[in-house]
Amino acid sequence: MSLLTLKDATIRFGGLVAVNKVNFEIETGDLFGLIGPNGAGKTTCFNLITGVYTPTSGHILFNGRPIGGTPPNKIAKLGICRTFQNIRLFGALSCLENVMVGAYLRHRTGLWTALSDIPPAIKETRALKEEAMRLLEVVNLEDVANARSADLSYGSQRRLEIARAMATQPKLLLLDEPAAGMNPQEKAELMETVRRIRDDHQKTVLLIEHDMRFVMGLCEKIVVLDHGEEIASGPPDAIRNDPKVIAAYLGEAV
Amino acid sequence: MFWISRLGSILGALLFCFLLDKVTGGLSDFSSRLVVLAGLYVTLSVSLNLINGITGQFSMGHAAFYQVGAYTAGYLSVTYFSKAHLPGFLWIVLMMIVAAIGAALAGLIVGLPSLRLKGDYLAIVTLGFGEIIRIVVQNQPSIGGAYGMNVQPKFPQLFASTGTHGVWLVWLLAILCIAVCRNLLKNVHGLPFLAVREDEIASSAMGVNVTGVKVTAFLIGSAFAGAAGALLAHYEGFLSPTMFTMELSFIVLTMVVLGGTGSITGSTLAAIVLFYLPEKLRDLPPVPVSFLVGAVIGAVGIVVFLKKTIDNYHGSSSQKTVRMILGTATGIVVAAALGFVLKVIPTIGHAAPVEAAKLRMVIFAVTLIFLMLLRPQGVFAHHEFSWSWVKKLLGKKDVPTTAVST
Ligand SMILES: Nc1ncnc2c1ncn2[C@@H]1O[C@H](COP(=O)(O)OP(=O)(O)OP(=O)(O)O)[C@@H](O)[C@H]1O
Ligand SMILES: [Mg+2]
Repeated sequence: MSLLTLKDATIRFGGLVAVNKVNFEIETGDLFGLIGPNGAGKTTCFNLITGVYTPTSGHILFNGRPIGGTPPNKIAKLGICRTFQNIRLFGALSCLENVMVGAYLRHRTGLWTALSDIPPAIKETRALKEEAMRLLEVVNLEDVANARSADLSYGSQRRLEIARAMATQPKLLLLDEPAAGMNPQEKAELMETVRRIRDDHQKTVLLIEHDMRFVMGLCEKIVVLDHGEEIASGPPDAIRNDPKVIAAYLGEAV
Repeated sequence: MFWISRLGSILGALLFCFLLDKVTGGLSDFSSRLVVLAGLYVTLSVSLNLINGITGQFSMGHAAFYQVGAYTAGYLSVTYFSKAHLPGFLWIVLMMIVAAIGAALAGLIVGLPSLRLKGDYLAIVTLGFGEIIRIVVQNQPSIGGAYGMNVQPKFPQLFASTGTHGVWLVWLLAILCIAVCRNLLKNVHGLPFLAVREDEIASSAMGVNVTGVKVTAFLIGSAFAGAAGALLAHYEGFLSPTMFTMELSFIVLTMVVLGGTGSITGSTLAAIVLFYLPEKLRDLPPVPVSFLVGAVIGAVGIVVFLKKTIDNYHGSSSQKTVRMILGTATGIVVAAALGFVLKVIPTIGHAAPVEAAKLRMVIFAVTLIFLMLLRPQGVFAHHEFSWSWVKKLLGKKDVPTTAVST
């Protein structure tokens, strides 16, 4: 059974069909790419999977269980977490605190223990903090753990978003244009990080990205959307040479 | 070790409250009244800070929760105290709990719009809710309507058997409210509240139950305001809807904003200072017109200079501080000098002295404007008082300043 299945997933905004009968399956351990021109419906796909929108028709299955229309916070608990294309960090909080918000999902002590500040809550806070610190190391942000996240550089903010999502310990990690705004050096490092997240941390990764070298170099399977419709899917080599993809998105030079 | 230090803090808080009670017992009625009201304002401002500053839900109806608590407790006391045969101070504690529950229910209702509305819209709706509650009370003859309601028993009777004045309970509530908020922020459980303030969409994507967080903030915040209301009812012995107008909500909101939204330390200190400032200004002596003119010119000069220094001066922070202190001192000297010099002008020199006490609300308002000009993020911004922060101020060593990491 595949980890995530989209079956004819469709969403309509008034007259616009942003995602139209999209089908794909992601297996555990995949490094999966979702590409397509601007406005193709990639981010909307993420919003469908993470419960921001409810599909107008069709099904989304996670571990064989239908999850379409489940609220975002429950989706996170089920094991799907995402980053945002337009960075959405908790600006006034420190990097460490941002990651701890992700880790909070696994808290066990009740609110009363926290309000009375007794050892179980204190211990838990300490444990989650250490865990968050380790995740900051994964994305090389341990040096700025106590800096305000809004003060970070663009590239660092994108990596912090990844660490924050990782802190929820998802089975499936969704990355929306993780390399946008990064320089080539940062991109190379990020590729390494994403690969390590899959290999060492055993995450399944679905990512959206416009940088073709990044996607082709990283992903093993790719789905291409255009105007909400799936126009191709397969391994990078097949996608690179697919005439429909070249016409709609890649152009000649890739 | 943990429990010893915890016991120490609790004993310390109790000791502080009882000492305060002893000291204020010797003061005039007017002074001890100010101490009680200041304690209630601290509770109001810190509890509103939880809703407004920490969770970021712009609520402007805090007076309504205070009122619901006050009337709940007042009504129950008038009706049942004589039948209950409970010791006075147990009764008042019971009333605080009941009032807290009553106000929390109101908080739940007022909190519901926050699930759909944000920012200004939520502010308007909470303001409306506050007014609705006040006007409903005003039209209920059974609780006194617009005439108000006498509440029996009052503090002296309630606390007679304990040999205290009851001031301790007022401040104990304030300290409890501060402790609860601080504990929340100190543990990982406080982070979802801050996260909701920063970005609701990202919060829910991280598994935070945004609805739950907002409702919890409103519940806790309004419960404390309600408990404070119960104390007010029995301290004053009289309740009327005019005690819970929008103006009160605004003053409490000002305390939160001025102290630095989100900062518990800020809300506490701002509540005390803003409450005492207009009261203390009543004692100002009459001043000659020349000195008044000098003070105005001096104050404007100082503020302009400080603002310029803050915005444009690129020196080390210690140089900046020295510059600001020197500038302020110069301003004061110039103001005083002007006071003497201007006397020479006959129309000013011979004018009758102005009663500064009459200008107290003007001075209050101008102080607020100046503070907001100089420090729009509030005096404490997001910072909290902590011993490591004191060490940092004294220049000992660099320590992290965020809530969780200290
Ligand atoms: N809430 C919404 N209401 C109406 N239209 C929407 C909504 N969300 C997305 N759309 C539309 O759906 C289409 C797909 O948008 P989407 O953000 O998914 O594109 P994308 O593939 O992520 O593009 P990009 O590469 O620019 O990020 C766009 O035309 C967009 O305007
Ligand atoms: Mg997009």
